[in-house]
Amino acid sequence: MNSAVNPASEVDRKTDATSTGSTLYGMYIVALAVSGLGNLGMRVGMEAGWFGSGSVTVGVIGALTALPLFVAAGLFWKLLRRNLDELVQRIVLEALAFALIVYVPLSALYVNLRTAGVWVPRLDPPDILMAPAVLTALGVALAWRRYS
Amino acid sequence: MAALQLKNQIVLLRARLGWSQAELADRLSVSRQTVNSLERGRYDPSLPLAFKIASLFECKIEDVFEPGDAAS
Repeated sequence: MNSAVNPASEVDRKTDATSTGSTLYGMYIVALAVSGLGNLGMRVGMEAGWFGSGSVTVGVIGALTALPLFVAAGLFWKLLRRNLDELVQRIVLEALAFALIVYVPLSALYVNLRTAGVWVPRLDPPDILMAPAVLTALGVALAWRRYS
Repeated sequence: MAALQLKNQIVLLRARLGWSQAELADRLSVSRQTVNSLERGRYDPSLPLAFKIASLFECKIEDVFEPGDAAS
């Protein structure tokens, strides 16, 4: 007979996959929003001449607005490796893989059509930044449906 | 190559002990969604989790899991 397994050290690892997954994704979206707002502020500020002629100031602001994404990426990876149970981990990884394999050909298609002069909607950097997040959300939804 | 899907007796074993899915999930340190997916046969557990489940129900791993039909 084996004894029951329930190490105390593992009890605090999460049992509510939905809330952990939401935290994971929500955190990334917030970082993306901060970065997008920073980008918008930069463009508005440059047009309004808030930064004078100093391109260094704009460069620093540009780098700082991307900082939340680096922090989010680190926290995302930590949560993914340590706080998700194996099914949710698998769902998130499948979603990331889905996002990547769809994003690359879509991007190539967009660039090729644009180069060829075919009409395509004009995409700004924030739109391009949002695309992987939207595709990952779609990937999570598809994987979640498959496993539940 | 066709993938081999596992069948399992988790629902029966859990019912025998009168545990809810949430209680089993807590004891396994996984989410309730994982237990639900395992019971419905939608997800095959990792080897460590399979051993943990067998250990929790105090039986051999082959008493909990058995090979099912091959899925293409």
